[in-house]
Amino acid sequence: MTQEILPPLSASLHVKPAGWRFGLKLWLPLFLLWLLLIPLLILALPLLFVGSLIFRFNLWRSLRAANGVLAATRGSEVEVDKRDTSVFIKLH
Amino acid sequence: MHDNRRQILDMLAQGKINSDEAERLIAALERSDMPVARDTSAVKYLRVLVDANDEQEGPTKVNVRVPMQLLRAGVRLTGVIPDRAREQVNEALRKEGIPFDINKLTPDNLEDMIEQLRDLSVDVDNERAKVRVFCE
Repeated sequence: MTQEILPPLSASLHVKPAGWRFGLKLWLPLFLLWLLLIPLLILALPLLFVGSLIFRFNLWRSLRAANGVLAATRGSEVEVDKRDTSVFIKLH
Repeated sequence: MHDNRRQILDMLAQGKINSDEAERLIAALERSDMPVARDTSAVKYLRVLVDANDEQEGPTKVNVRVPMQLLRAGVRLTGVIPDRAREQVNEALRKEGIPFDINKLTPDNLEDMIEQLRDLSVDVDNERAKVRVFCE
């Protein structure tokens, strides 16, 4: 079983609010968000390391598992259609 | 398989069967060794469809597709739960009358469970909403 290791790199967002004649189609570059968060994670690593010693959890395994959950969201789709509003989100 | 074929050829050589019978027996042997067609495609997504009709908000349709990988990743996440917390979870489940041991939730067991989900289909139908949950 192959396992995704990269978090979703982009998202498609289609919105058609009430009263709008045409919908809005957006492509969101999520990889930019991850690039911003990586330095923060590196800065937080010492704190996380101390936390792992105090609360006795495996930091490496926890980070891998958290990344796994994030990566597993790739391919998710949510579509909501109401009377005059519709929203569609897809993670790529 | 080779033993059976050898046995048929020996019987032919000994004159116990003729060539037509040997041919039929070998053909039957080959048929029995053919792999049985199975649906080996993995279950990839859990689909939730909701078709609601609220008096105030009007009709609403929801279509959610959740990758099965998320379930696998969630189970792997349980591997990092400290032992003491696992016991607390098990205790809480027992109190609720759910005889489930979280320690038995392993990636190996999960594959079997996901395989069983292939035939899962939950349909809830009432006057206000129709909900359908299935794997694809």
